[in-house]
Amino acid sequence: MKMICISCPRGCELDVEKNGNEVVVTGNACPRGEEYGKNELINPTRMVTGLVKVAGMRKPLPVKTARPVPKGAIDAVLFAMHQMTVQLPVKIGDVIIPGVAGTGVDIVATANM
Amino acid sequence: MFKNDIIVIGAGVVGCAVARELSRWNVSLAVLEAGSDVAEGASKANSAIVHAGFDAKPGSNKAKFNVLGNRMFEEVCRELKVPFKRNGSLVLAFGAEDEKHLAELKARGEENGVITEIIDRDELRRREPNVSEEATAALWAPTGGICCPYELTFRFAENAAANGAEFFFDAKVVKIEKIDGLWNVECADGRVFKARAVINCAGITSDELNNLVSATKYSIQARRGEYLMLDRDEDGVFSATMFQCPSKMGKGILVSPTVDGTVIVGPTAEDILDKDDKATTFEGLENVKAGAKRTYPALPLGKVIAEFSGLRAHETTVGDFILGEAPDAECFFNAVGVESPGLTSAPAIGVWMAELVGTKLGVSRKNPSLISKDVSWWPKTREMKPEELAELVERDPSFGRIVCRCEEVTEGEIRAAIRARVGARTLDGIKRRTRSGMGRCQGGFCTPRLIEILGAELGLPPEAFLLSRKTAPEALKKGVRDVKSEDGMFDVIVVGAGPAGLAAACAAKDAGAEDVLVIERDDAPGGILQQCIHNGFGLHRFKEELTGPEYAQRYVDLAAERNIPVVCGTMVLDISPVADGTCNVTAMSPRGGLKIHRTRSVVLAMGCRERPRGALMTPGTRPAGVYTAGTVQRLVNMDGIMPGKKVVILGSGDIGLIMARRLTFSGAKVLACVEIMKKSSGLMRNVVQCLNDYDIPLLLSHTVTNVEGREHVTGVTVAKVDDAMKPIPGTEIHYDCDTLVLSCGLIPENELTKKAGVEMDPKTRGPKVDANMATNVPGIFAGGNVVRVYDLVDWVSRDSEIAGRAAADYALKSRI
Repeated sequence: MKMICISCPRGCELDVEKNGNEVVVTGNACPRGEEYGKNELINPTRMVTGLVKVAGMRKPLPVKTARPVPKGAIDAVLFAMHQMTVQLPVKIGDVIIPGVAGTGVDIVATANM
Repeated sequence: MFKNDIIVIGAGVVGCAVARELSRWNVSLAVLEAGSDVAEGASKANSAIVHAGFDAKPGSNKAKFNVLGNRMFEEVCRELKVPFKRNGSLVLAFGAEDEKHLAELKARGEENGVITEIIDRDELRRREPNVSEEATAALWAPTGGICCPYELTFRFAENAAANGAEFFFDAKVVKIEKIDGLWNVECADGRVFKARAVINCAGITSDELNNLVSATKYSIQARRGEYLMLDRDEDGVFSATMFQCPSKMGKGILVSPTVDGTVIVGPTAEDILDKDDKATTFEGLENVKAGAKRTYPALPLGKVIAEFSGLRAHETTVGDFILGEAPDAECFFNAVGVESPGLTSAPAIGVWMAELVGTKLGVSRKNPSLISKDVSWWPKTREMKPEELAELVERDPSFGRIVCRCEEVTEGEIRAAIRARVGARTLDGIKRRTRSGMGRCQGGFCTPRLIEILGAELGLPPEAFLLSRKTAPEALKKGVRDVKSEDGMFDVIVVGAGPAGLAAACAAKDAGAEDVLVIERDDAPGGILQQCIHNGFGLHRFKEELTGPEYAQRYVDLAAERNIPVVCGTMVLDISPVADGTCNVTAMSPRGGLKIHRTRSVVLAMGCRERPRGALMTPGTRPAGVYTAGTVQRLVNMDGIMPGKKVVILGSGDIGLIMARRLTFSGAKVLACVEIMKKSSGLMRNVVQCLNDYDIPLLLSHTVTNVEGREHVTGVTVAKVDDAMKPIPGTEIHYDCDTLVLSCGLIPENELTKKAGVEMDPKTRGPKVDANMATNVPGIFAGGNVVRVYDLVDWVSRDSEIAGRAAADYALKSRI
């Protein structure tokens, strides 16, 4: 299976094949590519960045998932973000939603406000 | 019910000129305008030429009022404080046939009382070195001039209002009848105005109003003219207005300087049925380009900042201005079919019409001492001397806050434009009164600020002006902290506190520079990364993947650790190298006013801006709902505003791809991403994770061939293009959408760089730099997107660190 690695801007063209129980990745320029290729075949994941409302302000707070979450969970993660309103002050890295949408991954702030 | 002596219908340049003259008589006066502002019709979109008058048919109204009006312009523009320049006109001949025609024009001019002179090729080339070598001779008319038509209209209206005229907008007249000796004028919304006399100055619809009351019918043909506007960089390419000899090929395309320093090119002439259709077309713009190249072979298409079209009100039965009382409708006065030279004629028509109507009604003139000269004028900070400006900012700090960075328009000017008697109520109204949004970024940066000011001034939510934005109130309190170096001389001043500027400042400090200052025009440091909330930054620089705000904060913290002062809300207006090898940096802020800082070296780190729609020459209407990707990014990520629900993206730059995903996340439907090239201009990873992940089609070798919608975008047409990037007929796809997002590349922002006399590289559109990021001007260095547009912020920081270190070295050497 051919795919473009999204781990970094270089965008290596990977060839990912299943060989019995083993997944073989070629075309990658670094170990991150191998990891990405394997994951993409078995359990594709994505970082999700987004916005949550701030009480009393129009300006929203930018947030992200602390780690990549399964692709299938993106909608649920976004829904949780849209439901959320935070109180200021907030610092980079503060946990805004612990273990979002059953993924076990935290939503954390990415700006000081 | 409103009762007046006189109703003027139409607030274009003719209606407002008539209103101003009549406001000097003892009458009560109402001006009804179908649009939402003055100068909404032909007065806002024409060639802005004050014609000499050699062209009009001798004996016609056009000839008479053109010549009379032309002579009035100095005085009228002085009274109204409107820019006007008698730059002269040249009509070019291309060969013997044309030269014969020049002689005819000269003779016609003599009959009209207009002096002209025929000059030969050598003299022409001497005067206008950029003119085509194909031009064989020219007719020189020294009395030709240029003026700003909407500013003239606006000041006419202001002066009329100062003398008691009342203006009513969104007042589309649908019915006119005489009841009990009074004209009853009814508007579409039910408002009825009564008056003894009506003056019809309704431009493109003036025939319809006349035909409501008179048996003498007229017929106006809407004649569309398309134009291109070139950037101020082109100021001075021609000193005169360059016409072409009319020929079998058509009337010719003019190329002219404007009073604002831009260059106008056009118009086409196309008869159309729809009197509201102000769309530009692919063919029309091609004709403008081809026609202009006859005069100006080196026409730089990369300098186009806007394209627009206007409608001329061409009367087909008489073919002249129809001026005077309708023969069968007493006290109904016409100014019908006032097309070119209507702008030139307007002052004269105003005086003549006021005399006619005033005499007919038997009213007297006001005592001159009771006539107000006020035109609600406000200072244009861009044109002020530094010391005057400093004084003004001290009195009113809002004149120190620049909102439109391209045209250097301040908040004070924008507020004054809203507070004027006939004040701005729309984004376009502000644009025409102040030039905010008219520069090379075409409102990309200032639109969010403008709607905010409009909202505050007018007590409405900013969304009412299409979009919205809310700045932190403490932003106003931020200004220049008094930062002084011990000997009044900085080692390094860095212009811009984005990832480039902050990296340069830190590197300079680490390399031994003691006094380092960073100046930032935004209210907070961090630059454009503040709005780039997605991840993917910092893999090289910090060996981990960060979002934009996180990457920016790292550098804000690094600068803070080094005690480097960063002053925000402060715009650098000028950088001047001084003979001793140092530089003067002039900066302005609301709190600190205008200050000149002395420094041993400068690092330029102003970043880049997006290509606006005008630069892409997309045909169609010019409705709300067209944004650059960065503007949408700011609205969504910083201001919490969604600009639309159904979106088409033109161009596949990284910001456009990122915004496709962001808009999808925020609930919009992104219908397609359209790219004219054969491959995406953005990174493949972004195509995968922003488009493919969400099944958004990427249409390669396609472009947008038409934008639809009068008020707001209602749809776009997309077509496949051939190898020459021309649309292929028959391949059109239509999308119903409410938003068009443009992501067609970035341009280094180098206005300051050029002012400082730095040599530019035409390829990168940034300054030429050596391996140390030094420009050709000693002591001036540059880093980041101001030099060339980078793919990765990590490399922006790396190269800017080189610039910072080199600037520090330079400063330390020059200390000795």
